[in-house]
Amino acid sequence: MCLRLSCVLLMLSTPAAVLAAEPAPVLLSRQLAARAHVHVGDVVTLGVDPQGTRKASFRVAGIYEPTPDPMRFTSPRLEARMHLPDLLDLAAKPSDVSARDSLTGINIRLADPGEVRAFAGDLGSRVPGLVARATNAPRDEDPFAVLERFHLAISAVTMTAGTAFLLALMVIRAEERRETVGVLRLVGVSRRTLLLSVAIEGVLIAALGALFGIALAFATEGLVNRIFQARYDTALIFVRVTPSIALRAIAVAAPLGVIAGIGASWTLLRRSILSMVGR
Amino acid sequence: MTPLRLASRTVRRYRAQTVLAIVGVAVIGALLFDMLLLSRGLLLSFSSLLGRAGFDIRIVGGGGMTLRVPIEQSATLVEAVRVLPEIERVGAIRVQTGVVTARGGRRQSVSLIGATDAAEGAWTLMSGADLDSPGAAALPCPLLVGRPLAARLGVEPGATVQLAVQPSGTASAIPPVECRIVGIAQFAFGAASDDTVATTLASFHRASGEAAVGDADLIVAASAPGAGPVRAVEAIQRIRPGLHVFSNDDVVEQFNRNGFAYFRQISFVLSSLTMVFAFLLVATLLTVSVNQRLGEIAALRAIGIRRVSIAAMLLWESALLVGAGGVLALPLGEALASVLDRILRQMPGLPEQLHFFVFEPRALVVHVVVFALTAFAAAAYPVWLATRLPIAATLRREVVG
Repeated sequence: MCLRLSCVLLMLSTPAAVLAAEPAPVLLSRQLAARAHVHVGDVVTLGVDPQGTRKASFRVAGIYEPTPDPMRFTSPRLEARMHLPDLLDLAAKPSDVSARDSLTGINIRLADPGEVRAFAGDLGSRVPGLVARATNAPRDEDPFAVLERFHLAISAVTMTAGTAFLLALMVIRAEERRETVGVLRLVGVSRRTLLLSVAIEGVLIAALGALFGIALAFATEGLVNRIFQARYDTALIFVRVTPSIALRAIAVAAPLGVIAGIGASWTLLRRSILSMVGR
Repeated sequence: MTPLRLASRTVRRYRAQTVLAIVGVAVIGALLFDMLLLSRGLLLSFSSLLGRAGFDIRIVGGGGMTLRVPIEQSATLVEAVRVLPEIERVGAIRVQTGVVTARGGRRQSVSLIGATDAAEGAWTLMSGADLDSPGAAALPCPLLVGRPLAARLGVEPGATVQLAVQPSGTASAIPPVECRIVGIAQFAFGAASDDTVATTLASFHRASGEAAVGDADLIVAASAPGAGPVRAVEAIQRIRPGLHVFSNDDVVEQFNRNGFAYFRQISFVLSSLTMVFAFLLVATLLTVSVNQRLGEIAALRAIGIRRVSIAAMLLWESALLVGAGGVLALPLGEALASVLDRILRQMPGLPEQLHFFVFEPRALVVHVVVFALTAFAAAAYPVWLATRLPIAATLRREVVG
C-alpha cells in the first residue's frame, strides 16, 4: 500500500523504540484512513513526493479524529502523526546538513499564561526572525470577532423586520377590539388599566414566542450540525444555542412585544370613547 | 370596480398596517437582496482583482496558491514560457519578509516583493514614480511603499531607508542595504494595514545577499489574444509536466471551493430563511387582515362580485404590499450592504480592495422572482379563506356580533 503525503506532518514529542525490522508506528486521521481504506495494524508506505524518492514503511498504530479547526473546515483533514525522529529520517534532505535541526513549530505552555506577550517579545529579540505567537488571537486580529459582529448586524436587521410586522399585527388586533375597548372605557375602566393589560399580554405573547423560537433553535441545532458535519466531514460544532443566547433572545423579544402592543393600543386609546363604540 | 382598484382602496384605507407591512417587507427584502449579493460577491470581487493585473496565468511551486514554495529553475522556465506562441508576456515575482528602518529609527516588518515585468496592475501608483521610470532604473535599490506603511514610517518619495531581508525559518545576519523610496502605491492585494514593499528583481537579489539568483515564488503570464488561458496552460504544462499552472478561473475556483465556502453557505442559509420569514409574515398579515374583513368580503360577494374577483383582489393586495416593499428593499439593501461590507472587511489580512457584496444583474432577477413567488404563495391561504366563506352566515354574524 502506497500513500502519497503532500502536507506537513505533525510530530509526537517522545522518541519511538522501534526494532530495525518492525515498521515504525504512525497514527492516521479518520478521514485519511477512510479515503485510503486503511485499518489499524496495516503497514503503509509514506513518501515525501509523488515519485517516492524518499519513502519508508509504517504500521498504522491508531486512527484519530483531528481536532476541528474552524479556519480549515473546508479542507479535508488528510493527516498522519509520527514520532519526530521517524519524520526526520523520512523528510530530511541528505544534502541539507541543517535539515535534522530544523522544525516547523514548537508548542509551549507557559507557567503564567499572562506572560505571553512578554515572553514572545523576549524570544523575538533573542532570536531574530523567529515568530512567537499566542494561540489565542487578540480580539482585533480574530476573524471570528468580525463574523460575530456580522451575525449581530444580521440579527438586528431581522428583528427590525419582525418588529415592523409585529406592530402591523398588533394594529390589526387593536382595531378588532375597538368596540370592546370602547365598552370597557364606557363602564369606567381607565386608559392606564387597559394599557397595563395590553402590556402584560404583549410580554406573555413575546415571551411565549421567544420560548417557542428557542425551542425550535434547540430542536434544529442538532440537525444543522449533522448536515454540515456530514457535508464537510468534520466534528466541528457549527451551531450551539447556549443559555446566554437564549436569555439574550428573550431579553430582546419581550420588550419589543410590549412596545408593539402598547404602541398599537395607544393609537386606539387616544380616540374618543364614542368613536370607539361607533357613535 | 376592478380587483386592482378594490385592492388599492383597501391598502389605502388601512394605512397604518399597510405602511408597517411594507416597511417589514422592505427590511426583510433588503436582507434577502444582500444575501444574494453575498453569494457570489466575493468571487466576483476576487476575479476582478486577479484580472486587473492583466495576467491570466499563474505558475507556483508545490503547495498550491496559498503555500508559496520557490519554483525550481524558474529563470529557465520564464525564458521557455516567454517564447511560446500562446504567451504574450511573462513576469517573475519573489516574496520575502524583511525589516525597513527609516531615518529616526522607525522600524517596520514588511513583505518584500521583487518583481520584473509583472508589476502592471499589481499596484496603482499614488504619488512619486514607478519602478520602471528612468529615475528609478538608475538607482541600485528603488522601493515602492504602500500608503499605510509610508504613513507609519513617516516617509515620502525621495526618502532613504534601510532594508534588511529576513528569510523566514532562517537565522540571518544579512546586512541591510540602503534603498530610495521612489513612489507610494496601493497594492491590489494589499490589506488595510498593508506592509508591502516592492522593488525590482535585481534589487531583491542584491538585498538578499544570495550567491546566485534565487528562484521565483510566482510566475505570471498573459495569454496571447488568439490563444486564451486554457491553451496557454496546456502549452506551459508541455514544457514541464507536473508544473503547478493555474488560469485565473482555476485560482478563483480553488478559492471558491475552500476559502469562500463559508460565505456561500451563510448566504444560502440566510436567503432561504428570509424567504420563509417573508412568506410567513406576509401570509400571517394577509390572513389576519382577511379575518378582520370577513363581513366586508361577504358583502362584496352578496352584491355580485365573483369569487375570482375576490381572489384577484387579495392577490393584488399581496402584490402591492410585497411589490412596494420589494422596490424599497433595493436602495435599502444597497445601504445595508455597504454597512455589512464594512464590517466583514475588518477581517485581518484581507485585501483592501476586496468586497463581499458586489452587484450583478442576476441578483436583481432572482430577487424579483423570489418576491413574486412569495407574493403569490402568501396570498394562497387568505384567498382560500375568502373564496370559501358562507355569505349569508358571515353577514348574519357581522350584524348580530
